[in-house]
Amino acid sequence: MAAVMELPSTREESWRWGDPAAIAAAAGLPRGEAPAGAWFLELEGARAVFVDGVLDEGRSDLRHVAIAPLEGGTHVLGARTTGHGWSLRVEAHASAELIQIVHIATGGENHVPAEIVLADGAQASVVETYVGTGWSNRSTRMTLGAGAKLARAVRLLQTAGFVSVRDEADVGAEASLIVTMLGAGDAGTRIDGAITVSGDDAFAEYGGALLARRDQRQECALSVRHAALNGQSKQIWRAVAADTSTASLAARVEVARDAQKTDGVQSLRGLLLKRTATVNLKPELEIFADDVKCAHGATVGELDQRALFYMQSRGIPHAKAQALLTRAFVGDAFAQIADETVRDAFVADADAWLEAAL
Amino acid sequence: MLKIENLHAEIDGKEILKGLSLEVNAGEVHAIMGPNGAGKSTLGYVLGGRPGYEVTSGSVTFDGVDLLELEAHERAAAGVFLGFQYPVEIPGVSNVQFLREALNAQRATRDEKALSGGEFLKLARGQADLLGMDYDMLKRPVNVGFSGGEKKRNEMVQMGIVNPKFAILDETDSGLDIDALRVVGDGINRIMRAPDKAVLLITHYQRLLDYVEPDFVHVLADGRIVRSGGKELAQQLESEGYVGIAA
Ligand SMILES: Nc1ncnc2c1ncn2[C@@H]1O[C@H](COP(=O)(O)OP(=O)(O)OP(=O)(O)O)[C@@H](O)[C@H]1O
Ligand SMILES: [Mg+2]
Repeated sequence: MAAVMELPSTREESWRWGDPAAIAAAAGLPRGEAPAGAWFLELEGARAVFVDGVLDEGRSDLRHVAIAPLEGGTHVLGARTTGHGWSLRVEAHASAELIQIVHIATGGENHVPAEIVLADGAQASVVETYVGTGWSNRSTRMTLGAGAKLARAVRLLQTAGFVSVRDEADVGAEASLIVTMLGAGDAGTRIDGAITVSGDDAFAEYGGALLARRDQRQECALSVRHAALNGQSKQIWRAVAADTSTASLAARVEVARDAQKTDGVQSLRGLLLKRTATVNLKPELEIFADDVKCAHGATVGELDQRALFYMQSRGIPHAKAQALLTRAFVGDAFAQIADETVRDAFVADADAWLEAAL
Repeated sequence: MLKIENLHAEIDGKEILKGLSLEVNAGEVHAIMGPNGAGKSTLGYVLGGRPGYEVTSGSVTFDGVDLLELEAHERAAAGVFLGFQYPVEIPGVSNVQFLREALNAQRATRDEKALSGGEFLKLARGQADLLGMDYDMLKRPVNVGFSGGEKKRNEMVQMGIVNPKFAILDETDSGLDIDALRVVGDGINRIMRAPDKAVLLITHYQRLLDYVEPDFVHVLADGRIVRSGGKELAQQLESEGYVGIAA
């Protein structure tokens, strides 16, 4: 198949650290066997398995999740997902059971759109896990009504290929959105997030950790826009790069003129496990309101040599000491995950990555 | 137990230890005193295996084993403990987690069974109690926000937990208040005063030596041991200073 794929160019500012060539290469990987593994966490609730973008009904228990035709939006990658995807709609003041979605890719490319629509006061919690190889492309549109609460945790664990995730969210008055991402596989990664805090007194947190090794490239381009009064947002990101890998974070906070009393926290921190690795950080603040509190910090460093020796002098081998320090570094990005089982899974994924990378 | 012969060591190309020899037998406590910058901490780091310190000649054997051939963590497992002059803060890693990893890593290196969580906590609680350290401090990140004296006390709690054969204690007395000095002195005696153990006590002051009586006192100046004697040498240094003695 020689279809010309239209992909973003690295000449575009938001793709300056991007790796469109890796997307094309991932899409060209031949389809093969699905990897075996127990990808669901031991938690009650609805379950969906997508294999190469197609629902595997036998392994799914959809309950209140529906499969429906959905629009992928206008984003350059998100737009490609237009078609059948999964939809979660929760009525006012209802609480949905936990939803777990496992995306298994065996090669080639697959595109799935999703929507999560929470009416006023509704609550939901979603855990997504990506495994396998090939190009997995997703768009997820999240709409939170007044006082709604959504917790979403995404584990990017593909062993090869590329995962691109486009998230769009609209957070209503007094609503709370908490999204946590973990890139701990060996696939290329592109996370695009556009969050709008559109109701007063709302809270939006979008953060996570990218753990890159070998010649892998992982990146996130995120923007959180405050368009209402008294909003709070947090972007806590940790990027770890080993070997000759590159991890990049471009995160933006935008405060519109009317969004007075906004409280935005942005913390981007990078850790280089080798001098040959690269971490790019691009924090951006664009503030048009005058009564605003925005704390932000961006730093890249290496592991503290004194701490490493201190630990070794107490009997901890070098690699283990590196792992403990790196785990502590990454841990801040998972603190917002309320469900202990989910948080433990993130820590275990990070530990497995550390075990392999160090 | 420890035999250092004609040790030369440098850091960043600068020679700091310039032919240091010292022998410590089981059951002995040796005090090392000496002017600032003489190389006392450097000796501790070289014995502990800190990266960046290059031994250019000489030898160090510990229980007949070439200590310099071992990696830092293997030295710990062999029974060497280094109490730091400036204990390091480790944000995000709790004392309990750190010490349990440390103890079990040492045990693994020695082919011993790991302690369970319960066994470890009992041990850690006991040692913290003996050194008058609040148990809650064990749950805090390693040394983060600890006062100078609390850090030193924590070093001793760690020593109590790993129970080494040989301890190099680098100015463990500095930063301690009068009561803490006695508690720490008692701790050193309790943990390390045994016929099969030995201590190298680096200090500037006689005070600690009132609690932990040394069998030998050495003066380290300009990278060498320039004078050795009994505990009376420490008293003489206290009253006369290094001028004259170290020359
Ligand atoms: N990286 C380095 N490069 C060059 N010189 C160094 C380096 N690190 C330490 N030194 C020097 O080594 C010498 C010995 O230092 P050391 O810390 O061993 O002294 P000390 O005897 O412990 O002193 P104090 O009593 O003040 O603790 C000092 O002159 C110090 O400046
Ligand atoms: Mg010193």
